[in-house]
Amino acid sequence: MHLDAAAFEKILTHALGAGEYADAFYERRINRSFRLQDGKIHEAGLVVSRGVGIRALSGECTGYAYSDDLSEEALLNAARVAALIARDRAAKVSIIRIVGEPAQAHSVYDAADELSADGQSAKYVELLARADVAARAHDPRVRAVNATLSEESQEVVVATSEGRYVRDRRPLVSLAVQSVAHGAARGTGMFGDGGRTDIGYFTRRSPEEIARESARIACVNTEAIEAPAGEMEVVVGAGSGGVLLHEAVGHGLEGDFNRQGRSLYSGRVGERVASDLVTIFDDGNLAGERGSLAIDDEGTPGQHKVLVENGILRGYMQDRLNAGLMGAESTGSGRRQSFRTPPLPRMCNTYMPDGASTYDEIIASVKKGVFAKSFAGGQVEISKGDFVFMLAEGYLIEDGKLSAPIRGATLIGNGPDVMTRVVMVGNDTRFAGRSYTCGKSGQYVPVGVGMPTVKIASVTVGGSSLG
Amino acid sequence: MADSIALAAGAVESAVALGADEAEATLTVVERFSVEARDREVTTLEQSTGRSLTLRVFVDGKKATLATSDLSLDGLRKFARETVEAARHVANDPYAGLPEAQAFPGDGSALEMYAADVRERPNEAKIDDALGLEALARAYDPRIVNSSGSHVVDVVATITFANSKGFHGSYRGTQVTRDSAPIAQDGASKRVAHYGSAARGYASVEAVDSIARTAARRAVDMCGARKPQTTRCPVIFERDIAALVLSDVFSALNAANVAVGNSFLIGKGGHKIGSGLVTIFDDGRLAGGLGSAPFDSEGVPTRRTVVFRDGVLETFLYDTYYGRKLGAASTGNASSGGVGPTNFYLQAGTASLAALVESTARGVLIVDTIGFSTESVTGTYSRGARGFMIENGELSYPIDEFTIAGNLVEMLAGIDAVANDLRFDGSVVSPSFRVAEMTVSGT
Repeated sequence: MHLDAAAFEKILTHALGAGEYADAFYERRINRSFRLQDGKIHEAGLVVSRGVGIRALSGECTGYAYSDDLSEEALLNAARVAALIARDRAAKVSIIRIVGEPAQAHSVYDAADELSADGQSAKYVELLARADVAARAHDPRVRAVNATLSEESQEVVVATSEGRYVRDRRPLVSLAVQSVAHGAARGTGMFGDGGRTDIGYFTRRSPEEIARESARIACVNTEAIEAPAGEMEVVVGAGSGGVLLHEAVGHGLEGDFNRQGRSLYSGRVGERVASDLVTIFDDGNLAGERGSLAIDDEGTPGQHKVLVENGILRGYMQDRLNAGLMGAESTGSGRRQSFRTPPLPRMCNTYMPDGASTYDEIIASVKKGVFAKSFAGGQVEISKGDFVFMLAEGYLIEDGKLSAPIRGATLIGNGPDVMTRVVMVGNDTRFAGRSYTCGKSGQYVPVGVGMPTVKIASVTVGGSSLG
Repeated sequence: MADSIALAAGAVESAVALGADEAEATLTVVERFSVEARDREVTTLEQSTGRSLTLRVFVDGKKATLATSDLSLDGLRKFARETVEAARHVANDPYAGLPEAQAFPGDGSALEMYAADVRERPNEAKIDDALGLEALARAYDPRIVNSSGSHVVDVVATITFANSKGFHGSYRGTQVTRDSAPIAQDGASKRVAHYGSAARGYASVEAVDSIARTAARRAVDMCGARKPQTTRCPVIFERDIAALVLSDVFSALNAANVAVGNSFLIGKGGHKIGSGLVTIFDDGRLAGGLGSAPFDSEGVPTRRTVVFRDGVLETFLYDTYYGRKLGAASTGNASSGGVGPTNFYLQAGTASLAALVESTARGVLIVDTIGFSTESVTGTYSRGARGFMIENGELSYPIDEFTIAGNLVEMLAGIDAVANDLRFDGSVVSPSFRVAEMTVSGT
């Protein structure tokens, strides 16, 4: 089936049935990658994901089907399956015509138009080889380097029963380097960068820089001692410390959890949920950032959202379904992993703007605590609000100075509890290396996180040392 | 089926025609039906059949892989060509290549992978199961006022494999999952719990009322949870959480991690690592096991491997490539381009979980963890957790917002009791077990 306006209109007419809304999401994603291991290019990978996801909404209910077979029979069959969700209802709305060509979204990316395979493989291989050499040259303790470079182009078309018909082409590159160093003990360091840009990014941000950062962390971790256990002052590092915002606050502000009353932030817009030093934004419009979207996967333009302002909860992140049921507008937060899955309200790039303190002032203010310089990731249980974030690089702080590095440990806290204990915010906000991926209901999407250096008066550090 | 073999074999042939020395292809067709219910509504209904093809090519000892959902003839040819071209940029590797020619090990009917009742059971009955989970969980206790939804998901998967050494084979399997995640209101706080069951068919999956009751009881039992004091004490991992610990052990046994220096078990083969209670199998031939299959993703017959025997590390787990590289035979653990578990499990003990608790004077029982990072090179383990304080052999009160930490080497050596509650509802499973001492970090 040639997927033009008439084809989408036919699919949507079948999908809408007696429902209130239907949409179709066409995707063609091509991901090319090379992996380096043992100083050699180990393998090449090509992933092609192409198909159409079709959804019908009726009240709180979603009917969904997808097809990777683009024949008319298969697509209309998927549309009829989606329509089953509303089969017991009376038809209320009719479809608004889909006409012309899909409108091209205003780009927030930083890339050449079309991703071409020709001649790119040699560039990928060269970048990986440079990363390998740089990591090993950084320190003789570096014994193993694994690196993956991938470049992706995702072309999407969204058509809706309300007449929306838009398209977008999203680039995404990443270079991730893992180093293993042998010293007093073995240490690993992982670092990655990239974003919604193309391979040209690595002429400005060199693979050597990325690789050396990975090697540096691996070497630091060979000297690491057991992390302490118990509640203490924690300084969260600029950049990847944004994982804290993503877990402690971000997920709890997603529309679905709040509409259903499942989040501890449900019904709390306008209330204090953090200390007055805390302001948090989520933004889909940051040029080249990993979580940016010109339009979301429902065709709504990406936006700058104020989630928390000086400690006061300002608003949720919404997709169409949950916005509609809550009498709100979509905030351009409807995202999905692929055409195989329905959209959910998700974060894009979540960050905290600058505060007033300097990094030096913040470290100097800690008598005994932990500097959590960077994070491997985090997780949250949104109903009670307990969340964890996992150290990738950390240090003890003693008498206002950094001392020994500590081994990987999980830190745990409760969202509003911890955010209320934010007592200092640095003036050094920045985005983390662009390598974070967020999981929700089994769907993984690229996100950005950013943060200045922040001091929290008390967090539980999950090390094994009682000393 | 004949069409599937033709498609997989055709992809292999076209790769060879394009210049590959060797190639293998797997066609996976997945029919999936999924329903989510919340309260009295069916909130999501999904039904689709997805097809994907994985093509692995070897050109002069150089490897490249294509995974595609574009199965049009044009699409297959175009991307197969690009995959062969990409392989030319890979380094020559003497260990890369197909496994030695294998006889077709059969369609695996003895492995009881396919349950006819998955297709036969009407969708209405599956929807009623999901609504039933919701209704029964909410009826369990007046504090259950909300939920993260109850789900019934079933899958019929057909796998067809072909390679350029003339091997081709096909098998099918089914899986049913039922789960529920009720939320109990506990004053101003919300307590969510999750419980589910998975099996090859409806005849063997846990009953709806039992799942709903267990899920609801877990939510209610957490009401009033408080943060424990920081201490060192025995830690009992309940079955599902014990399985997560075992996943970390699998990672360290995965030859792909061992080969790149990313495992705390490197150099420990033949050594006694675990306590005498640590006997671990990887059994790809287990009847009805969710990880069972007649052959692995490169056509090597699966088998039963003793990984740890009475605490001694007997072997790592290999595919063909890492086997050759590390000087061992494949253990039939190739899994979509890497190394994966079949049915990987710790051998069960004889005592009940309740008996483990009774024999613990002071400790904690862990029923849930959050977080996922384990430092593989050192085995450093740390997780957020929820559970119960154990005092004088009894569960005295619920605890949350704390962490447990230790080192996997010490944890394996410290396993001093294993329960009899093993069930095969995943590909990495475990009975509940107790570790003699770990750090609990709270207040």
